[in-house]
Amino acid sequence: MKVLQVMAEKCVQCRECMSACAKVYFKEDSPNFSRIKVIDKTGFANLNVCSQCGACIGVCPTEALERDAGGVVQLRKNKCTSCLMCVGFCPSASMFFDGSKQSEPFKCIACGICAKNCPVGALVLMNVPNN
Amino acid sequence: MMKNIEMQPMKLLADWSFKPKKINRGYSGETLYIGLGKKDGNYIFEQRPVSDDMIEKFTGGRGFGLRLLWNAVRNDTKWNDPENEIVIAGGPFCGITQYPGAGKCYSVFLSPATKQTYNSNAGGYFAPFLKFAGFDAMELQGKADRDVVVFIDGDNDKVQIFESTLNDINAYYVSEELHKYFAKDEADQRTISVISTGEASRTSYWSGMNFSFYDSRRKAVRLKQAGRGGGGTVLRDKGVVALVVKRTHFTGSENNPADLSVIQKAGASLHKRIHDHDDEQCRMRAVGTAHLTEIMNDYHLLPVNNYKFGRHKDIDNISSWTYTKHFTQGMADGCWYGCSLACAKAVDHFQLQTGPCRGKEVIVDGPEYETAAGLGSNLGIFDAVWTIEANFYADHYALDTISLGTGIAWACECYELGLINKKNTHGLELTFGNKEDLMELIHRIAHGADDFAVALGRGIAEAKVYFHEHYGADLDVMTKIGMECQGLEASEYRCQESIAQWGGYFLTLKGPQHDEAWLIFMDMVNKQLPSYEDKAEALFFFPNFRLWFSLQGLCKLPWNDIEPTDNGLKYKGIEAAKIPEHLQNYLDIYGAITGKPLTQEGLIEQSEKVYNFERIFNLRMGRGTSAYHIAPDRGLGPVWEDEWDARAEYFDSKLEEFGSDPKGRSVKEKIELLQKYRRVQWEELKAAVYRRRGWNRNGIPTIATVKRLGLDYPDVVALLEKHLRPEDEWESSVTEMKAKA
Amino acid sequence: MIKVNGSPSEWYDGMTVQNLLDRENYSFRMLSVWINDRAVGKSAFSTQKIPDGANVQVIHNISGG
Repeated sequence: MKVLQVMAEKCVQCRECMSACAKVYFKEDSPNFSRIKVIDKTGFANLNVCSQCGACIGVCPTEALERDAGGVVQLRKNKCTSCLMCVGFCPSASMFFDGSKQSEPFKCIACGICAKNCPVGALVLMNVPNN
Repeated sequence: MMKNIEMQPMKLLADWSFKPKKINRGYSGETLYIGLGKKDGNYIFEQRPVSDDMIEKFTGGRGFGLRLLWNAVRNDTKWNDPENEIVIAGGPFCGITQYPGAGKCYSVFLSPATKQTYNSNAGGYFAPFLKFAGFDAMELQGKADRDVVVFIDGDNDKVQIFESTLNDINAYYVSEELHKYFAKDEADQRTISVISTGEASRTSYWSGMNFSFYDSRRKAVRLKQAGRGGGGTVLRDKGVVALVVKRTHFTGSENNPADLSVIQKAGASLHKRIHDHDDEQCRMRAVGTAHLTEIMNDYHLLPVNNYKFGRHKDIDNISSWTYTKHFTQGMADGCWYGCSLACAKAVDHFQLQTGPCRGKEVIVDGPEYETAAGLGSNLGIFDAVWTIEANFYADHYALDTISLGTGIAWACECYELGLINKKNTHGLELTFGNKEDLMELIHRIAHGADDFAVALGRGIAEAKVYFHEHYGADLDVMTKIGMECQGLEASEYRCQESIAQWGGYFLTLKGPQHDEAWLIFMDMVNKQLPSYEDKAEALFFFPNFRLWFSLQGLCKLPWNDIEPTDNGLKYKGIEAAKIPEHLQNYLDIYGAITGKPLTQEGLIEQSEKVYNFERIFNLRMGRGTSAYHIAPDRGLGPVWEDEWDARAEYFDSKLEEFGSDPKGRSVKEKIELLQKYRRVQWEELKAAVYRRRGWNRNGIPTIATVKRLGLDYPDVVALLEKHLRPEDEWESSVTEMKAKA
Repeated sequence: MIKVNGSPSEWYDGMTVQNLLDRENYSFRMLSVWINDRAVGKSAFSTQKIPDGANVQVIHNISGG
């Protein structure tokens, strides 16, 4: 399956990844709308993005979260009730929300746009074996 | 219509289209009125506006229910008159999806058991879908001329009444069939919710209503209950087999809140708190409210053998750990979207051993604590499998498990005391722990099988009169041991050792249930309510605080069955009991939905209005005075010697607290003495509570209270002026004169 | 002697908070403990000793609805 590989030690915190992501999915360059978050922790880059672990799948009451053919956990908006339980239950807090654009939460779907825009190769879209 | 349905197609009797008003800031501003006629097939439908006054004084939910019912009935309306209504309402929070526990509603009606208003809380998807269809509340009045199914089609904006073709009126059958009947396909069943009752509604006043939701993973119908007060009995009396609502599309901001981001933040943070800490707190996600059985046992609060005892050596058989093994773990068990507390536990693939469904493999919704205790320890039965089967049938037949448990427990004690015998019971040996005969009794009560079963199924208050008149049973003894007040059986906690909880049960509006107050720990263990003023303050504050949830469409469990880990460290005393952080969430979300800011004082005031209106409504129906707030002996302490002897040292010390030396006295004497002293305490408690609530000595709200709360409508004032007497005032010139003389 | 929620209670040298909770059958999980007006964190229940003469409060929270 496709997974975004993160090498935080290479990150220079330019946040081009966040801009690219937000612009593609929400047409607005704002950190709130990015599905990857770059946080500065005492000078070190901390990158928070979904690892496709699937812990959220069982929590959703409408089964709106499911793995697609490529193994990526997708949120089907037509089933989602915007309850945000997946947000609270994500072990890495990688499910995000911002009600100003849509009530449903959103997550990384391993599209690779951020990786394409990363100047230092800190993000790589990889194919890993399904578990 | 789906395939694999047993029921025949239903004939359409009435069809009405409406233009729904859009929900704005938590309200659509309209209620639905359905008139069934007077057994003449004259069906009427109306959209009724919600006035500003109604929102200001009654807020929503139970408040709307009481207001609409007040307008619908006459002073002499009985529960089985066509004028009686079932009013179902959620509230401004109802239907939000982000914060746990926001799908609740209250059903308000004149009760066959209590002969005054009752209001019954239920989860499930019905109320949110009703609201999304365009209605803040729904009134069901009149009586149909035949068995009908009422369908509120929130997808096509119409209400239809069908002639029922369901030949079995029990809950799982009706709910499963109707979910399939109105769905396009299997997945579409989750857009439907069904209110049903069961066979018991024909003859028992213990019959409630089931509210369904569809479990997508289990591919099964799940049931929650508006269990208490006989709402099912009223529904059956109206000729309604089921109420169905369908709503396919809704968004995460269907309530059109003023500020969605506030709701989202509060919701996400509580989901995270539940994820992180539920395991080490109440384990709601694993075992629901059944986490309480062994804890109540540790504190002598578990009802055993009709509340005689508080502990039993076989507690492990019904412990939370035992029930955890029966409940399927890891399921998304919220009864409305967004409830991560997920406490609607189920036993899957349970094979029934008795009754009409014997041999069938079913899903059982529960047991919750009340059922684990009421249809368990209180009957002297410590067998989780027995309780699970009893739970299934209680839901299916629509018998309130609390009233059923407490009622049968009382009947068992009557039997063991020889007040009733095997001839009276038509062959049943009603001894504590008699699993076979007690299960058979449940079936007989549901079927209305014989005069004994029918009499008992009317509730302790009426059954004791029947037993006295027909079997010569001692009325005084039956009253002493009957855990009942105002016609309603008590819920499953032993209140004997907490004066505040005597009030929590026997000084309530609708009867002894802990919707209003659960003060046992605060009073008995924490000892935070030492004086009568303290107890009265708690019996003013907490009923009003807890009633607030019933106005909004909220479940109380996400408020206090999960808490911030530092709640007990940050807040001292009673402040901690409010769970201040969660209280703040509710205030913030109320403002975020309605656009109107709310403080804690404002919250209490919203509740106080409805609390007093309900009290006045009871008065209007011929009750609601001090004479109806009676505590039975069993509720205040031991009645028989075995109860005293079970904790002799403890009860001896209680006698000593009154300055009475237990030495040299017989146990019978000591019991009488303790009851006598506690009766005095009971009267003192009652007086302190009435005073604090702004009621007179007779438990009636004063004109001053009613004016302060803006409830001084002309008909309210006229009613009060008929009943308020000068000698019942607190500073009465009459009592002063008597004192001087 | 110590006081537990205002009532006198037996004490012994080395008694921890958890010892006290076990003795009193205080099995409820949502409770907080204060010794002489200082809060004791849950993780310290097994190690925190109660001094002689202490005023101990074991505050149970409400639950159930």
